[in-house]
Amino acid sequence: MYGHVLIVEDNALVSSAMRILLEATGHTVTEAATTEQALAVFDNPDNPPDVALLDLTLPDGDGLTILTRLQELGRAPRICVAVTGHDDPEVRSRCLAAGCHDVLLKPVPARELARLVTAWMNPDDGGGHSDTIA
Amino acid sequence: MNHPQADQHMSLDHVAALEARVSEYGRELALLRERQSLDTRFLANISHDLRTPLTAIITHAEIMRDEILGPVSPRQRDSLTGIINSGRQLLEMVGEILTHARAAAHQIAVDRVEFSLEELLESLVDLNQSLIDRKGHTLEVDIQPRLPRVFADRDKVGHILSNLLGNAVQFTPDNGRIWIIVRTTTGELGQFLLVEVGDNGIGVAPEHHELIFQEFAQVDASTSRQHHGTGLGLSIARRFVELHHGRIWLESAPGAGSRFYFTLPVHGEGP
Repeated sequence: MYGHVLIVEDNALVSSAMRILLEATGHTVTEAATTEQALAVFDNPDNPPDVALLDLTLPDGDGLTILTRLQELGRAPRICVAVTGHDDPEVRSRCLAAGCHDVLLKPVPARELARLVTAWMNPDDGGGHSDTIA
Repeated sequence: MNHPQADQHMSLDHVAALEARVSEYGRELALLRERQSLDTRFLANISHDLRTPLTAIITHAEIMRDEILGPVSPRQRDSLTGIINSGRQLLEMVGEILTHARAAAHQIAVDRVEFSLEELLESLVDLNQSLIDRKGHTLEVDIQPRLPRVFADRDKVGHILSNLLGNAVQFTPDNGRIWIIVRTTTGELGQFLLVEVGDNGIGVAPEHHELIFQEFAQVDASTSRQHHGTGLGLSIARRFVELHHGRIWLESAPGAGSRFYFTLPVHGEGP
C-alpha cells in the first residue's frame, strides 16, 4: 500500500536519498529539516502524513518532541518511527517510551526501509517491525 | 636522586625551588588533561559527522543495486556491492572511534540486565559462522552446564565477546582452531564467570601483551594493513570489562596461539 511519508532529517544528503527510495517505491514524500517545519506539515488537514520518520538530533531540538507535541494536539500520524545513528539501548527505550512504533539504525538498508514503510501503510497488517535493527 | 642523608642539609631555597617545580608540573598536567579532553570531544564530533555522508552514499548505492530505479547489469551490481561493503566497513570503523571517544570521556553508562551468556554466545557464533566456514576454521564452544545467568550490560558483554571472537577468526591463518570456554569460579569478591577465547594462530610476543590493549595499537603495521581496523577494538573491550569490575588479559607466545581471558562478576558487584 502506498501513502504519505514525512521524512524529518536535517541533513539533505540523507533525506534526499530516502526521498528517492520512497518515491520510487510509490509513496508521496514530504521533507522537513527542523521540528518547526515538521509540525507545520500537520497544519494542513487535507494531506496529513501516514508515516513519519524522525531523526533525533535536529537543529532546533530533539526529534521526539515532534511526536509529543503532535500527541498533545491529537494529530500524531498512525506510525512514527525513530531513525537514529546511535546503536544505544538507552536511545531505543526513550523512543519507544515516547510512542515510536519502531527504532531504526542508520543507514537502514534500502530494501528493508522500502518494505517496512509499505507494510506500515497497510492498517490491517499490524505494522511490520524491523528484524535486524537496534 | 640524592641519598636521604644528604638532603638533611637542603636549604630553604632548595625547598622553595622544588615547590615551584611541583606547582609548575601541576599546571602542565592540568593543561595536558584539558587538551586530552578536547581531543576526545573532537574525535566524538568528527566521527558523528562522518557517519552522515556515509549513510547517504550507502543508501544511494543500495537504491541502485536493488534495482529500485531500474535494472542494472550483473557487473554494475558487483561494483555497487563493492561501494556498499566498503561504506559499511568504514561506518563500522567510524562507529568504533565514536565508542572509544565516548568511553574515554566517561560518557558510557553500564545498563545491567539479567541474561544468559550462553544464548548471547549462540547468537554471536551464528553471526560469525559464515566467515568461520569461509576461512575453514573449526570453532568449539565449551560452556559449563547450568551456567548461572549474569547481571551485566548485555550489549557491552556482546561487544567484548564479538571483538575477541572476531580477532580470533580474522587473525588466525586459514583452517585454524578456535575455542570458547566459559566456567564459573569463586574469588574474594564472590562468584564470577571466566571466559576464554583461544586460537592456534600466530600468537603475540609477551612484550606486546600490554600494548595490544592500548588505543590505536597494532603490533605489526603490516598486519594492520592486511586486516582493516582502527586498533581500538581491544582497548574498548578492556574498558567495557573494567566497567563491569572484571579483568581481561592474554596468554600467548609467537607460534603458540593466543588465549584471551576475561572475568565478569555474576551479580554485577564490584570491589
